[in-house]
Amino acid sequence: MKAKLLGLGAFLITVFVIVPWLIAISGRWDFYYTLTSVALLSIASAGVWLTFYIGRINIGQGAYALAGGYVSAILITKAGFSFWATLPLAGLFCAGLSVLIGLPILRLRGVYFAMVTLVLTEVGRLSALALPVTNGAKGITSIPLPGEVSVFGLTLIPDFATLENPKLAFYLVAVLLMVICYAALYRIVNSRLGHLCRSLQQNEELSASIGVNTAYLRVLAYSISSFFGGIAGAMFVAISQSIYPSSFQVADSVNFMLNCFLGGLGYVFGPMLGTLMLYFGWDLLFTTGRFQLLIYSSLLILLMLFLPNGVLSLFERKGVRK
Amino acid sequence: MKRRTLLKTSALAAVASLSFLGMAHAENPVLKIGFVGVTSGPAAAWGISNQRSMETRAAWLNELGGYEIDGQKYDIQIVAFDDQKDPKRAIAGMEKMAQEGIHYVVGPNVDDGAAAVRPVAEQNGIMYFPYAFPKELYTAPASNAVLGMVANYQSGPAIYKHLMENEGVQKVAFVAANESDPLSQRDGGVEAAKALGLEVVSDSVTYQVDTTDFTPVLLPVIQTQPDLLVLSGVSPANAPQLIRSARELGYEGLISTETAQDATVLQEGAGELANGFISVGGASTPELASDAMREFVDRYTKMFGEYNDESNTKVYALEYILETIKANPAAMTDVEAFKTTMDTFEAPNPYMVGDAKLTYVGTSSFGQKRQVSVPLVVNVFKDGAFETLFVAQVD
Amino acid sequence: MEQIIANGLYLGAQYALIALGLTLIFSLMNVLNFAHGQMYVLGGFVTYTIVAQFGLPFIVGLFASAIVLAVVGALIEKFLFAPVIRKSKREESTMLLAAGIAFFLDAVILLVFGEKQRGVPKIVNGVLNWDFRIIMPYDRILIGVLAIAMIAGFILFMQYTKAGRAMRALAQDRMAAELMGVDVKRYSMIGFALGAMLAGLVGGLLVTITGINLGMGGPTSIKAFMMIMIGGAGVISGAIAGGFILGMMESIGLTVLAAYGDITYLVIFASLMVFLAIRPQGLMGKPWG
Repeated sequence: MKAKLLGLGAFLITVFVIVPWLIAISGRWDFYYTLTSVALLSIASAGVWLTFYIGRINIGQGAYALAGGYVSAILITKAGFSFWATLPLAGLFCAGLSVLIGLPILRLRGVYFAMVTLVLTEVGRLSALALPVTNGAKGITSIPLPGEVSVFGLTLIPDFATLENPKLAFYLVAVLLMVICYAALYRIVNSRLGHLCRSLQQNEELSASIGVNTAYLRVLAYSISSFFGGIAGAMFVAISQSIYPSSFQVADSVNFMLNCFLGGLGYVFGPMLGTLMLYFGWDLLFTTGRFQLLIYSSLLILLMLFLPNGVLSLFERKGVRK
Repeated sequence: MKRRTLLKTSALAAVASLSFLGMAHAENPVLKIGFVGVTSGPAAAWGISNQRSMETRAAWLNELGGYEIDGQKYDIQIVAFDDQKDPKRAIAGMEKMAQEGIHYVVGPNVDDGAAAVRPVAEQNGIMYFPYAFPKELYTAPASNAVLGMVANYQSGPAIYKHLMENEGVQKVAFVAANESDPLSQRDGGVEAAKALGLEVVSDSVTYQVDTTDFTPVLLPVIQTQPDLLVLSGVSPANAPQLIRSARELGYEGLISTETAQDATVLQEGAGELANGFISVGGASTPELASDAMREFVDRYTKMFGEYNDESNTKVYALEYILETIKANPAAMTDVEAFKTTMDTFEAPNPYMVGDAKLTYVGTSSFGQKRQVSVPLVVNVFKDGAFETLFVAQVD
Repeated sequence: MEQIIANGLYLGAQYALIALGLTLIFSLMNVLNFAHGQMYVLGGFVTYTIVAQFGLPFIVGLFASAIVLAVVGALIEKFLFAPVIRKSKREESTMLLAAGIAFFLDAVILLVFGEKQRGVPKIVNGVLNWDFRIIMPYDRILIGVLAIAMIAGFILFMQYTKAGRAMRALAQDRMAAELMGVDVKRYSMIGFALGAMLAGLVGGLLVTITGINLGMGGPTSIKAFMMIMIGGAGVISGAIAGGFILGMMESIGLTVLAAYGDITYLVIFASLMVFLAIRPQGLMGKPWG
C-alpha cells in the first residue's frame, strides 16, 4: 500500500511539476500540446481498455469522442453554455447514447462486436455529415476558448482567452482529467464491480449461472467507457476551437485500441503508456522525413514480436500475475 | 532479463540518435519555411506534390547560392510535418513549426486541419497558407491565413459561365464524395450554378472515397441527362474512374472539376475517355509556361523521378512568402510587418509568360487581401496532356 | 432494374473474392488481418509494374501478383504471426501486429510505388449495350467472370485437394486436426499464403478497371470485414454470400436512396448494425466466432 501511494505521489509530482519545469528549462514548448493530446487520447483509450476488461474488443470509441465533441460545440455555440458545463454533459450524453446502442450490440462477442463498433465509427462520421444540427460538412468553427469560472466573485478558473500561456492551462486541465479518470478506473477495477467484470471476461455463461447480472454489467462498463470517450472529445474541441465530421474517425478508433494492446491489456495503466509511446513516438520520428511511417511501423512490429503481452509485461516478474 | 535491458538501451539509443538527425549544415544563414500537410495515407498525393514543389524550389534557390534578402543570402530549408490528414496531428505540426522558430507555413491541405491549426498559428505568430476554402479562415477577425490557391467558389462560376456561353450548357449535375471538403465545394458549386441561371438537375448523389465501381453511383445522375457533370472536389484518384464510368454509361456531355488533376493519372485511368475533361490547373501548359516554369518541371522530375501536374498550382505559395519577405525584410520574424506589406505587395510572376504579377487579392471574397493571386487557368485534357481552355483573374 | 442487378453482381464478385482470403485467414488462425487491404493494393501495384512499366501481357502480371503476395503472406505468417500467437496471452493481441504490418506495407508501397493513382490500359475495348437495359463494358464482364471462376476454383481446391481438406479440418477444430496428424504449422502457413494470394489476385484484376492507389488499403479491409460479418466469420460460403449481399446493397441503395442525398451510406451501415444486432453470428457463422 505504501509503495503504491509513493508511486502515485511520484507520478503526480512528475506530471504537474517536473514536466512543466523540464519544458521551461529546455524551451520545448511544443511538447505541451503533444502531452496534452497524449493525456486526452489516453482517457479515451482508458474507456476502450475497460471494454476489453469485460472481454469486448471496442473499435468504436471514435464515434463517442466525436459525439462528445459535437455536444460540447453545439451547446457552446448555439445554447451559449460555458465550456466547463458542457464537459460533463458531453460525457453524460455519450453514456446515455451508449446505453441505447450497447443494449443490442453488447450481446455480440469476439470479432463480431469489434466489427460492429468499427462500423459504428463510420456511422458516427456519416451522421455528423448528414444531421442538420451539426452543420454538416462545414463543421463548427470559431468556438470560443473556455471562459471564466468563479464562485462568489472568487475566480476558480480564469478565462483562457486572457491567459498568457493557454498551452500550459490546457495541459494542466488535460492531465488533471487524466488523473481523475485513471483513479476512477483503478477504483472500479479493484472493486466488486471489477471482480465481476473479470468474471465476464473469463466466462460469461459461468458468471451468469452464478447469478451475476451480465447484461446490466456489460452496459454499465460500456457506458463508463463511452463517458471517457465523450469528455476526451469535448476537451479536444476546446483546444482546436473547431470540429468537423472527420475530427475523430476510424483511424482514431483503431489507434485507441492499439494503445491498449501496446501498453498491455492486463494493466490499468497500460493504455496510458501505450498512448504515450504511440503518439509521442510518431512525433519524435518527425525528423526522419519520408521514412517516418516505415520506421514507426517497424518498431511497432518489433515491439509486438518481443513483447506480445504489452510493454508493461516487461516489468512483470516471472510467474506472478495480477 | 538480458534481452530486456538490451531492448531498453537500444530504444533509448534510437531516440537519442534521432534527435541529432536532420540538422543540416550550411554556410549561409538558414531561412526555414514550414509545411504541414498530409503525405501518407489515402490523400498522400495532395501533400506530397505540395512538399515536393517546395523542396524543388528550395534546392534550386540554394544551388544558385541562396536567396538574397536585404543584401544577405539565405539558404532555404523546408521543414515538413506529416499530419496524416488528422486535425489533431495538424495542431501538433503547427506547434512543431513554432518550436522551430518558423513564421511561415504552407498547408494544411484540408478544411478540418486548416480550421484546427488556427488558434495555434495565431498564438504563435505564424502565417499559414492553407489549401482549404472555409471563408471564416480568411475573413476578419482571422488574419493569419492566406488562401494558397483559387477557391472553388471563384473558379466554379467562371467555368460554368464560360461553358454556358460557349457550349450552350443549360442543365448541370453535381456528384461529390461524402467528406467535408467535397461536400462544401458541391454546395458552393450548386449555389453558383443557380445564381448563373443554370438548371441543377441532380445535386444529391454522393459516394464513399473508397468506391471501386462508380457505375451504380453515376447511374441515377446520368439518367437526369445533364449537359455538364461537375465532379466537386474530386481527388485525383477518383477522377479517372468517375469519368470512365460516366462515359461507359453513355454520357456524352461535358465533365468538369474545380480541383487540380494530373495528366498521367487521367491517361492511365481513363485513356481517351478523359478527352474533353475540364479541370483547374497551373501555368505549365505550353501556351503559358515561362522558361522558369519549364526549368522547375525539369528539376522536379530529376529530383523525384516523375512530375505531378497538381504541383502547377502549388509552386506559388513559397514564391509569395519569399518575395514578400524580400519586399519587407522586417517580415522575416515579424508577421505583422508581413501583413502590412501584403496590401501593397507586387512582384513579377516568374512562372508565366507575359507580364503577370504576383499580388495578394481576396477583397471581394473575404473583405481583406488574404489570397495569393494566381492566374485561374482552366485546362482541358486532350490525348495525355492538358491544353489551356481559358485564363481568368480572381480579385 | 436489370442494370442494378448487373452492377450488384459485378461488385459482389469482386467483393466476395476479397472476403474469401480474409475469412480463410480468420478461420485458420483466428487472426483479423488488418493488412488485407494493403495486400490487395500491393497486388495491384505488382500487376501495374509488370503490365504498364515492363509492357508484358496482363496475364503475366496477374501471375506475378499471385506469386509475390503468396510469398509475402507465407513470410508474414512464419516470422511474425506464428511467434506472436505462440507467446501472447490473449489472441486478440495479433490485431496490433496486423495493424503494424498494415502501416508497414503502406510505408513500403508509398516509398516503392509512389503516391499517384495508377492504372493499366483497358484489356478489352467496347461496351455491351443491351437495349439500354444493361450497359456494361466488356472488360468489366471479363473481370467479373474471371472473379467468379476464381471463386469456383478456390471452392474446388478446398473441397477436393489434400491441402484443402487439411485446412478445413484445421478451421473446424485445431486441436482435433493436430491429433489426427495434420501438420498445423505447415497448413497455417499455406493458408495464410493462399489468403494473401487471393487479395493480390483481386488487386491485379481490378487494376485494369478501377486502378490502384496507396489509400485503398484501409477502406478495403474494412469493407471486407463487413462482408465476412454479414456472412459469418470464418465460413467460406458466408464470405461469398456476404460479398454478393454487400454488392447488391450498394447497387440498390445507391439507386433507391439517391434522391435523399447524403444518407445513402449511413442507411447501408446502420442497417448492417441492426442486422448484426438481430443475428449476431451473421448468416451462416458459428455463434461467438
